Amino acid sequence: MSKHLLAVLLFLISFTAIAQKKHVISGTIKDAETGETLIGATVRIKELTNVGTASNSYGFYSLSAPDGEYTLIFTYIGYETVTQALSLHQAKRINISLTPKSNLQEVVISANRPNNDQITSPQMGVEKLNMAQINQIPVVLGERDVLKTITLMPGVKSGGEGNSGFYVRGGSADQNLITLDEATVYNASHLLGFFSTFNSDAIKDVNLYKGGMPAEYGGRLSSVLDIKMNDGNNKNFTVQGGIGTIASRLKIEGPIVKDKGSFMISGRRTYIDMFLALSKDSVIKGSSLYFYDLNAKANYHFNDKNAIYLSGYFGKDVLGLKDLFGTDWGNSTGTVRFNHIFSNKLFSNTSVIFSNYNYVIQSFQSATSFKATSKITDFNIKEDLQYTLSSDHRLKFGFNVLRHSISPGEITTDESSSFNSRSVERRYGFENALYVSDDWKVNDKLNVAFGLRLSGFMLMGPGTFRSYDPAGNITNEATYGSGDVVQSYYNLEPRVSAAYQLNDVSSVKASYNRNTQNIHLLTNSTTSSPTDLYAMSSNNIKPQISDQVSLGWYRNFQDNVFEFSAEAYYKDLKNLIDYKDGARLLVNENVESQLTFGSGRAYGIELFLKKKYGRFNGWVGYTLSKAESKFAAINQGRYYAARQDRTHDLSVVGIYKLNNRWTFSSSFIYQTGSAVTYPTGKYTVGGQTLFSYSERNGYRKPANNRLDIGATLEGKEHKKFHSSWTFSLYNVYGYRDPYAIEFRDSPTSPGTTEAVSTSIFATPIPSVTWNFKF
Amino acid sequence: MKTLKQYILLILALPILASCQKVIDLDLGNDTGKLVIEANFTNVIGTQTVKITRNVPFTQTNTYPPVKGAKVVMTNAIGDTRTFTETADGVYTANIGGLVRETYKLTVETDSKVYTASSHIPDQVFLDSITTRPAIFDADKGKKTLSVHYLDPGNLVNQYRFIIWKNNVQVKTVYAYNDDFNNGRYVSLDLRVRDDADDDFGIYAGDTVKVEMQCIDKPVYLYWYTLMRQSSNGPGGGVSPADPPTNFSPTALGYFSAHTTQSKTIVVKP
Repeated sequence: MSKHLLAVLLFLISFTAIAQKKHVISGTIKDAETGETLIGATVRIKELTNVGTASNSYGFYSLSAPDGEYTLIFTYIGYETVTQALSLHQAKRINISLTPKSNLQEVVISANRPNNDQITSPQMGVEKLNMAQINQIPVVLGERDVLKTITLMPGVKSGGEGNSGFYVRGGSADQNLITLDEATVYNASHLLGFFSTFNSDAIKDVNLYKGGMPAEYGGRLSSVLDIKMNDGNNKNFTVQGGIGTIASRLKIEGPIVKDKGSFMISGRRTYIDMFLALSKDSVIKGSSLYFYDLNAKANYHFNDKNAIYLSGYFGKDVLGLKDLFGTDWGNSTGTVRFNHIFSNKLFSNTSVIFSNYNYVIQSFQSATSFKATSKITDFNIKEDLQYTLSSDHRLKFGFNVLRHSISPGEITTDESSSFNSRSVERRYGFENALYVSDDWKVNDKLNVAFGLRLSGFMLMGPGTFRSYDPAGNITNEATYGSGDVVQSYYNLEPRVSAAYQLNDVSSVKASYNRNTQNIHLLTNSTTSSPTDLYAMSSNNIKPQISDQVSLGWYRNFQDNVFEFSAEAYYKDLKNLIDYKDGARLLVNENVESQLTFGSGRAYGIELFLKKKYGRFNGWVGYTLSKAESKFAAINQGRYYAARQDRTHDLSVVGIYKLNNRWTFSSSFIYQTGSAVTYPTGKYTVGGQTLFSYSERNGYRKPANNRLDIGATLEGKEHKKFHSSWTFSLYNVYGYRDPYAIEFRDSPTSPGTTEAVSTSIFATPIPSVTWNFKF
Repeated sequence: MKTLKQYILLILALPILASCQKVIDLDLGNDTGKLVIEANFTNVIGTQTVKITRNVPFTQTNTYPPVKGAKVVMTNAIGDTRTFTETADGVYTANIGGLVRETYKLTVETDSKVYTASSHIPDQVFLDSITTRPAIFDADKGKKTLSVHYLDPGNLVNQYRFIIWKNNVQVKTVYAYNDDFNNGRYVSLDLRVRDDADDDFGIYAGDTVKVEMQCIDKPVYLYWYTLMRQSSNGPGGGVSPADPPTNFSPTALGYFSAHTTQSKTIVVKP
């Protein structure tokens, strides 16, 4: 690995020597009030229209220009623009603090031209979420939720009520890589999918890549949801929190050493179980049902060149049925990052990442007592380098070595139990990657980003590994020792995207990327469940592969106040996984014999109109798409609509700031019902009615639509103390979206059958939250 | 997981949320007239029955056209055959019994098409007892949880199917188990009877409960297990439903199950 790295470095250095003589301007961009670094703030040189850049994940920026007198312009949404005169004769380091706009000013459209990144950047298929906006959007029970909000973006589909899984461009839920400060979050939901694991108090920045995936990301087919936590205020101690309908939150942040280091701790706990105490039923009364999570982060800047960040997440769901049954599950992640600025052109970040997901299910009744556990643990070392070669070339390169350890299931019992103790062998694997990419400004009009990612996967011993024939019978069995490579897969993943600027306000872009996936979710349930099981690529399971091409047209209106985009994509998917009839996935050492493999395709058009600024802002997104799968054993090997297929998907979000105290918001969604299997006949066996089926996913649930409204009332301004009320009304007109449809004998007219739909959140649900900050 | 989710829904639904159920109209397709064969053959000498019908559209009443005039033949391992006689429309019977550890072949000829299935009668595992204890919920109303008890042999792979009758009415829930998790153990298994008025019913003090235990072979287990998984489709929709895998070739709806049978009956005490 290091040899490769050296070669790349040497190549870069020789490149620099022949590059034109320019000076580098670099520095860090921060929030003037909290000291938080600002991600994606833009820096431009007024005199050179083509020179500009954006700050990276750590607020660092670097650009270069020839000798001269310039004006630097720093902009960031919701912040005052700062301009600074500069006489450039040598490399300069300029650290800038931007001041957030006060409420009053925010309603006035900025006189400075807002940024036109969407037009110039070659990146396509990316959704950047603004946390301030997320906090305004009404959600069920008032729990602001990143995962719920991204489903309002075009190309992103909700898994349905009570399901925080989401589908991106026809991919399944497990094809999304969800990372929190670079650590993979395996089960991103609480309470079996009703809430996401991300407490929005602790979140600073959210990016969703749907296509044109940058080369530094990999490992999943559909998307990367990159979530970054707040660093913490390094100027003052602040406390903020909220008391809501079902949960309360508290966040404390402050400096460790003023202007040098800070910390942030944010926690959340639900108290649904308090309602349980009101129940008359003694079992419900004695039961528990809650989740909590804790985000913590600390950072310290040793000097201008070195900084360290520590961040962690810990969350747990607990569900107990008196003294009879108990289960808990949760994620924990930890990330240590070290930033080093080698020179004003070379920025380095080294990360050591830990991630763990586990569950425990216990039954305490003597005859059926058991304890079942499962665990997945990742260790990841990652090195990312950013090199500003010239104002025309920005390189990114790096590697990561990720070790998975999966303990698929273990059951422990005692003598009196009906069950045997057993455990399925632990599995180990390495997911390694090496990447390089170049953001190349070819000329005034054309920007190209091209990258290459080499992914290498190795399934490791020790253990006994079996091969199966298509019928699921064992054909071969081999035992490997510790450190033996059982199976390896190498894939080259090209990532290319280009933007051609037609004029000041419009551009066209195209991209192609290949992604591969070596860790697969095995579940035959549509909703996320704590017993989600992961399997790695192996002698039986090949890596899933996706090739995506996309094409887009982008147009800004009224000085970039309105952004419009139209993107079309086509995706080809290989080695997808489905399950045989009667597959049993839990605690099964032959689980790989229960799988069948197929292919898929997805295509669609996404239209997006967004108003980013002003008293009234929001967006309209519409997607017309298709997602299909093909498995030899299903529907005679024909393409059929995948579970995540929705033909039409419309979302409208509007936020209106009436005055300094009141802000109103609403969101509306309409989407085609999901593809489902309905009976096409019935018959009788064993004295009961059974249903016969002729086609998988041949029908549609009724279309879903829903209107939610919300309002925020800011408290009167106090010197130190600030408070606000958030009100929301979910499902305003009480639309009954069928959550499940069951077929059964009619209890009211015997001898006939009927279809029954069950809906949840089927009536308007109000909620109120009180937020405070001091 | 279905039960987990149900608890959560139940608990969430209590104070603040209304989950609601409603009968809906769906435009369902019509793929009917398919052959349905239900063939059971036990180790107890008596009337063995093969029922042949056809499936009907979802919207029709639950009356299924019998298939008359079929030729139904049972063959044992050494080639002895026995032809079943049609004793009622679509009902074919013979007064015989099977032996454990024997494989039987059933052929059904109708409309000049021959359907064949084989099934094996495994060793009989002794049903020790059936018991009840107060249920988790509604115990104060006399609701009970029903358990069956048996010693699973450790040297064999065993599959079981249970059928429950409450006050002489068959409970619709399918119960199919194997010994994956309890091979060689003294097994106490809770057979949960659903209690919503629309569906099945719970078991309460005073009820007369009969449980039949069948020892079945692997393909028949897969048939019932698949069915069991589908009926617990539950909130959110579990596996995509499909016709359970039949052991008939060419494919037909239904199954041929050769199995052991034994039953126990209790009157549930308060």
